[in-house]
Amino acid sequence: MIDKVLIANRGEIALRIIRACREMGIETVAIHSTADADAMHTRLADASICIGPPAAAESYLNKVAILAAAEISGANAIHPGYGFLAENADFAEMVIEHGLTFIGPSPDHIRLMGDKIQAKETMKARGVPVVPGTDGPVKGDVEARAAADAIGYPVLIKAVSGGGGRGMKVARNDQELDDGLRMARREAKAGFGDDRVYLEKYLERPRHIEVQVLADHHGQVVHLGERDCSLQRRHQKLVEEAPSPAIDDDLRSQIGETVSSAVADLGYQGVGTIEFLYENGQFYFIEMNTRLQVEHPVTEMITGVDLVRAQLHVARNLPLAISQADVRYEGHAIECRVNAEDPATLTPTPGTVHTYHPPGGPGVRVDSALYAGAKVPPYYDSLIAKLIVYDQSREACLKRLQRALAEYVIDGIKTGIPLLQAITQDPAFAEGDYHTGWLGEFMEGWTPPSY
Amino acid sequence: MALPLEREMPPDADAPEEVRDLLNVDTALIEKLAELLQRTGLTEIELSEGEARIRVAKQPAPVVANATLHTAAPPAAPPAQAAVEVAPARDADTDANANHPGAVRAPMVGTAYLTPEPGGDPFVSVGGEVKEGQTLLIVEAMKVMNPIRSPRSGRVASVMVGNGDPVEYDELLLIID
Repeated sequence: MIDKVLIANRGEIALRIIRACREMGIETVAIHSTADADAMHTRLADASICIGPPAAAESYLNKVAILAAAEISGANAIHPGYGFLAENADFAEMVIEHGLTFIGPSPDHIRLMGDKIQAKETMKARGVPVVPGTDGPVKGDVEARAAADAIGYPVLIKAVSGGGGRGMKVARNDQELDDGLRMARREAKAGFGDDRVYLEKYLERPRHIEVQVLADHHGQVVHLGERDCSLQRRHQKLVEEAPSPAIDDDLRSQIGETVSSAVADLGYQGVGTIEFLYENGQFYFIEMNTRLQVEHPVTEMITGVDLVRAQLHVARNLPLAISQADVRYEGHAIECRVNAEDPATLTPTPGTVHTYHPPGGPGVRVDSALYAGAKVPPYYDSLIAKLIVYDQSREACLKRLQRALAEYVIDGIKTGIPLLQAITQDPAFAEGDYHTGWLGEFMEGWTPPSY
Repeated sequence: MALPLEREMPPDADAPEEVRDLLNVDTALIEKLAELLQRTGLTEIELSEGEARIRVAKQPAPVVANATLHTAAPPAAPPAQAAVEVAPARDADTDANANHPGAVRAPMVGTAYLTPEPGGDPFVSVGGEVKEGQTLLIVEAMKVMNPIRSPRSGRVASVMVGNGDPVEYDELLLIID
């Protein structure tokens, strides 16, 4: 029976887990590096243990130190949060070998989904739509043309050994395909010593839509609808919302059922997120995250399901208390990630917070470990707060979000709040008319107000 | 909004009875905490309710940097202020020890053993002479015994941990004069 949980994390997510544990009468143990000695999670947990120096590799990623901390504190379960060791199959395995409960899926499931090629094949075999493409490298131009016709233009030419955009070309017709193939092969040869290329459907302006699932150890799986996380910069999500402005009830249940049955077939347990690119009514699987997500609160707000409580519930081997028919979506929720960063350059701004006043009032939730006097150390992620706002409609939610952002006071360090304010005041965002490339384009024409 | 998952989980079902009762019982509080401390193997327990706050520790609080934190005011208070409040009360000797050139600190989190084997004689004792490189104690982490060696030759001025005590990273273990 889980009665004492060690939280192998820091910041807002450590607080989120401490809160859920406390509400369930479960004791908590916080771990921290010397840099986090006065961090909020060490003060709110029932016990806290210093496990290493500031560098994450020697503290929050130090598997042996974390297990030793669990041992000396008498914790019988470990919650990894997100990031750090949350998707480290070896760590999950070590936790289990030491007779503790890992609050998450099995190491095998973590490993399977951690291998992006295997993950794609696994999902494809279970009826989950993936980005159409050639199964392997294309040989001649004739074969490439036939493949491109089958996939449908535009197509993306990608190097088998590629990465970082090199050896990648977009082709919109046969002529561009011939030229693109030659250039991609040459670049790939020069860059990776391997001129093999393959073709994939090119998505011009996709949205990032992800589906939340929850599964128990008794074969029951429910999905909790989607989150729209299309507002990203350099693949970092900044604003997330649920439900997505682009998905209707039919699409939602359709993709939800597809995902649920795949997850059930895998024998997966706990919370998980299946990420898709979405364009013109079609979903394309990207990856599955085998952990709690940063943006989980928007799902909690519209479904009323506490996902961390659900994780602990599943980890205790209890059957899910809800079935798919019990899942209801009510209202609209938007989350903004407040980062310690310069809103214009997006460079991190570690330092000390002098004045702190979080927004409040109806429908406002702030998940944060900040307080006046808190230090934001330079060693870890720059996420310092999540502002989650809920209201009956998207329109009302957006107004409430603008109101809440204007209330937020974080003095002493620069934060991304001015950028979040600009985004939420943009007409395209108000229309829900945005895609994964939108924020990058938006920022090119934006300068932060002087302050 | 309904939280369907609550149905099968009565609140506090798993809270140990002593934890639930603690803050209501005034006279037996210290005794209960001491028992809990012993049973859980922790070095300290700190409880707070409203303005009231109580802390029971088995040994001198560890490293100064951390001690400041552990003894700090309730979470609502900014630590900068808390540190100021705590600082004057801090044992001057602890300050001296923390900056002592012969301070030996835990290089890892784990369990301290002062003897080479259970029931054996301790590696060192207060007042005893030690040579540089001599084993002072062991910190066990995940079944691996890590010998902690003396950084210099001298005399053992004090030993801050007990046999079998859990130790945090960077915790002050002993002082070599």
